[in-house]
Amino acid sequence: MNVQPDLEFIRTLKEAGGDTLKKCYQCATCSVACPLSKDGKPFPRKEMIWSQWGMKEKLLTDPDVFLCHQCGDCTTKCPRGAKPGDVLGAIRSYAYTFYGWPKPLAKLASSAKGLPILIGIPVVVIFVMWLLSGAMHIPTKEQFASHGYQQFFGSWDFKWYAKNIFFIVLIMLPSLGLALFSAFMGIRKMWQKMSEEAGLNSQYRPSVGQFFSDFLWPSLVEIVKHSRFRECTTHIDRVRGHLPLMLAFIGLFIVTCWSLLKNDILGLIWPSLHGPLPLTDPFKILANVSAIALLFGIGVLWSNRKKAEQDLNTQATFYDWFLIWEIAAVGVTGLGAELLRWAGMPFIGYIVYFFHLVAVMMLFLYLPYTKLAHMIFRTTAYTFEKYRTSVYARG
Amino acid sequence: MTDEQGTTGAVLVVGGGISGLTAALETAEVGNDVFLVEKGPSFGGRVAQLNQYFPKLCPPSCGLEINFRRIRDNRRIRTYTMTTVKAVSGGPGNYEVTLETSPRYVNSNCTACGDCAAACPDEIANEFNFGMNSCKAAYLPHEMAFPRRYVIDKGALTSAGAEAVKAACKYDAVDLEMKPETFTVHVSSIVWATGWVPYDATRMESLKFGQSKAIITNMMLERMAAPNGPTGGKIHRPGDGKAIESIAFVQCAGSRDENHLEYCSHVCCMATFKQMSYIREQYPEAQIYVFYIDLRTPGKYEKFRESWMSDAKATFIKGKVADMTIEADGGVTVIAENALTAEKISQKVDMAVLATGMQPSFALQGAPVALEMDPSGFVISDAARGMIAAGCAKKPADVVTCTQSSTAAALKAIQLSRR
Repeated sequence: MNVQPDLEFIRTLKEAGGDTLKKCYQCATCSVACPLSKDGKPFPRKEMIWSQWGMKEKLLTDPDVFLCHQCGDCTTKCPRGAKPGDVLGAIRSYAYTFYGWPKPLAKLASSAKGLPILIGIPVVVIFVMWLLSGAMHIPTKEQFASHGYQQFFGSWDFKWYAKNIFFIVLIMLPSLGLALFSAFMGIRKMWQKMSEEAGLNSQYRPSVGQFFSDFLWPSLVEIVKHSRFRECTTHIDRVRGHLPLMLAFIGLFIVTCWSLLKNDILGLIWPSLHGPLPLTDPFKILANVSAIALLFGIGVLWSNRKKAEQDLNTQATFYDWFLIWEIAAVGVTGLGAELLRWAGMPFIGYIVYFFHLVAVMMLFLYLPYTKLAHMIFRTTAYTFEKYRTSVYARG
Repeated sequence: MTDEQGTTGAVLVVGGGISGLTAALETAEVGNDVFLVEKGPSFGGRVAQLNQYFPKLCPPSCGLEINFRRIRDNRRIRTYTMTTVKAVSGGPGNYEVTLETSPRYVNSNCTACGDCAAACPDEIANEFNFGMNSCKAAYLPHEMAFPRRYVIDKGALTSAGAEAVKAACKYDAVDLEMKPETFTVHVSSIVWATGWVPYDATRMESLKFGQSKAIITNMMLERMAAPNGPTGGKIHRPGDGKAIESIAFVQCAGSRDENHLEYCSHVCCMATFKQMSYIREQYPEAQIYVFYIDLRTPGKYEKFRESWMSDAKATFIKGKVADMTIEADGGVTVIAENALTAEKISQKVDMAVLATGMQPSFALQGAPVALEMDPSGFVISDAARGMIAAGCAKKPADVVTCTQSSTAAALKAIQLSRR
């Protein structure tokens, strides 16, 4: 076999948390230690040698890279301190940048050097929108008490579509849209490349319904139940952080949908539905529980990460910390804005709310390039893995 | 300088295995006085426990008997068993060493007639055979023991046992009142030939040693294959005595692993090829599986490896055994990934042999004096100070390399005494 090592790729992996990859001597302890590794196609031993040899194409088209939950069992048992779990994390971080679209934005989101621009974009966009909206003023305590942040971007008389919502949608929808489109592009590219590499039969395909019910839905069920995550032993505590965090995101998604429905559709019929939800409202309860779950979850993950860096000598990387910071920022500013509303402090409240919008926009906008991209790519890999062994793929 | 001390530049050799014996003989045969001390009740060390040497497959009595003979005939060597170093003072060329001899409870009247053992009702686990059988509390360490004198484990004796043992001895050799004795010797340099211990296999949780009788260590297999071993040389599964139809050798069990022994123990690959020959001799049809990371058989050993790798019923799998499952029928399943085919393998076998590595004795018990040691516990020679390492106290090595390094150590020790 003629191997042309991609030295640049190896260097990137080393910087992204895989600094130990060259220590591996291929004893394959990791493949046995891994609770998720399958008998017929074990990992991560093969990924380690592909990394050492700089075989980028092999790694990017390998679903196993994305099936790894970085539970750390291989890293603990590794006789050489090669930390296969961390190396696979580094490969994923590279892959998110590789599959990211548009490329410049993906590149930007991959290193701390891009941080000023990463934060700058939403700050400028939201501030300019705030100026354009003409609201541009801090409300009185009375206004603040009755409307909260619902007139952050002002209000107008056109009752069919609130001005505030108009602006928020104007900001967030393109962000989310870009992220979703980028995710679509990434998934498509990844699926194609993986199919080619696995030599799958493309003649015989399931219907969309079959695809959903046979492959995607079971994957989603597994993910939500954390079935595979729970097989980890070394970093099992991450489930304690990840599960509440994931449920919090689902909860907040539901609340956001309800809020839109209530204010902008039902609110047209019953104007009394406008305004902040009372604390006793089931959706408000869900929102607050989710916010607390989010802060608890990210707190656990934050401290786990710190502990791993101290105890297991895990390399601190921008890739890991950026997402932790982002989510923590969303949680802290979100809950902070709510508390300030109760406290009746419009000035600080508005500033904190502004940064909450910034944090949320960052989460949406950079979703396909940061560690959050595991949402889409790991789900894809789960699905692909099921598909690969199905009758469709084998033809 | 040494002549002023009234010595001839005596050398202390600590450890009476193949390395210590060699260092002592080489030193004495040049003309220096030697004190040879051994912690155990007899000389011969780990080599005495082997069934055969590699690659010639001759028994260890080969090398040991001639060395014992040379020692007996050499008046410059004074030997002390059950003796350890307690303290060292002074400096290079003029060390005063405090030694302590533990009570053997058998004096020099002993003729090794064996009457005490025959009369003794109390039994202990036979350490020489790694506890695979038991022996009497009054025992000869092993068949080839030198000095050929019994030893009594007083702690294991019941009062009836003590009476029986005393009464049985016709030569008044049993002395249960013996106390530890401390004495000093003056030497110009010290050779540390303190050897190794097999790495504690229970520390590798995934290899399940101790949880099934089907899992043994390579040193246990040596004892089992030895004619003077617990089974009289018959290899079968401990516990139920099942004949071996399949066997797995688990290489690097604890070696080359920073969680255990970070270094390569150097001999285990060759030991496994050698042990394949034991299996083949008794079981021509047995399936043999060898799980390895790399096969390290340098230089002249390559031929030995080639001949055993061509065994038609042997399979070599490049992949370290990282897990084991204990089977209900008494067997065991070893689990590894074959790195050459990228498939996970679960192989059920009748018996699994862990090729456990060598851990320097000092890594466990610590050195009695301040010695320069590497992080693994191997002694680093300091010839200028007259502290010289030999054999496996210095690095993991086969017998040939040990005797070479012991000869080298003897030369360094002599040089210091003659400055």
